[in-house]
Amino acid sequence: MNLAIVGKGGSGKTSISGTMARLLARRGHRVLAIDGDPNPNLALTLGVPAERIDDLPTLPRDLLERTPEGTRFTKTIDEVCASHSVQGKDGVTLLVMANPKKAGTG
Amino acid sequence: MHAAVASVSQMVGEDREGICIVDTDATVEQFLRVATIRADAILVVVEPYYTSLETGLRMTKLGKLQGYERIALLANKVRSEEDGDAVHAFAEEHGLEVAGLVPYDLRMPDAEWAESAPLDFDPDAPSIAAIDELAARLAEQYVERSVAHE
Repeated sequence: MNLAIVGKGGSGKTSISGTMARLLARRGHRVLAIDGDPNPNLALTLGVPAERIDDLPTLPRDLLERTPEGTRFTKTIDEVCASHSVQGKDGVTLLVMANPKKAGTG
Repeated sequence: MHAAVASVSQMVGEDREGICIVDTDATVEQFLRVATIRADAILVVVEPYYTSLETGLRMTKLGKLQGYERIALLANKVRSEEDGDAVHAFAEEHGLEVAGLVPYDLRMPDAEWAESAPLDFDPDAPSIAAIDELAARLAEQYVERSVAHE
């Protein structure tokens, strides 16, 4: 199941996303959480310690390649997770898309 | 970055037993870009006041135009029974689905201030119970049922 959570800023979508991910994991599901927000906060709701938030791994651009059909990864999802994911509580795997530190990055 | 989100969602989309939750930065103007994500369901988080519900309506319409069949409102910060009734009345008037209601719960912002996950800050909070009920329902609808049918 792919579930996308959208909404206005401040509506609480990140708190809901992270909490739901952990609750689903507690029910025995294998859960991958993707933080697609350029100001990523999903990690905190997954129980990743606050002091680690600024140093979370993000996906480098060279993992993506353009094809006639669109953009795709040069590695499998398992390979991407093995090298670039963070483990949240309850076994949730987190991929952070970007965490720009300065303008023009991310 | 949206290309990366879309590509990840495409890659994991074939995994019926696993669950992928994508937390997006999507506002109305960004939704057309985000709508390249492979999603079985989209939850539009709204709050129980008119402009938020109007935004939810616009996002739902955009998503439907993109071909997403299952888009539902998830009302957060619902303070009263009247709030819930208003959400349902708005949804009924515009033909929208309401996936669930999450009560207004000060433990959510309190958890943020404490730099803690809501689930760790107070696992017995009413908002947690509402999200758990919704999670169980979505898993039953999209994961357990599809696996059982294979």
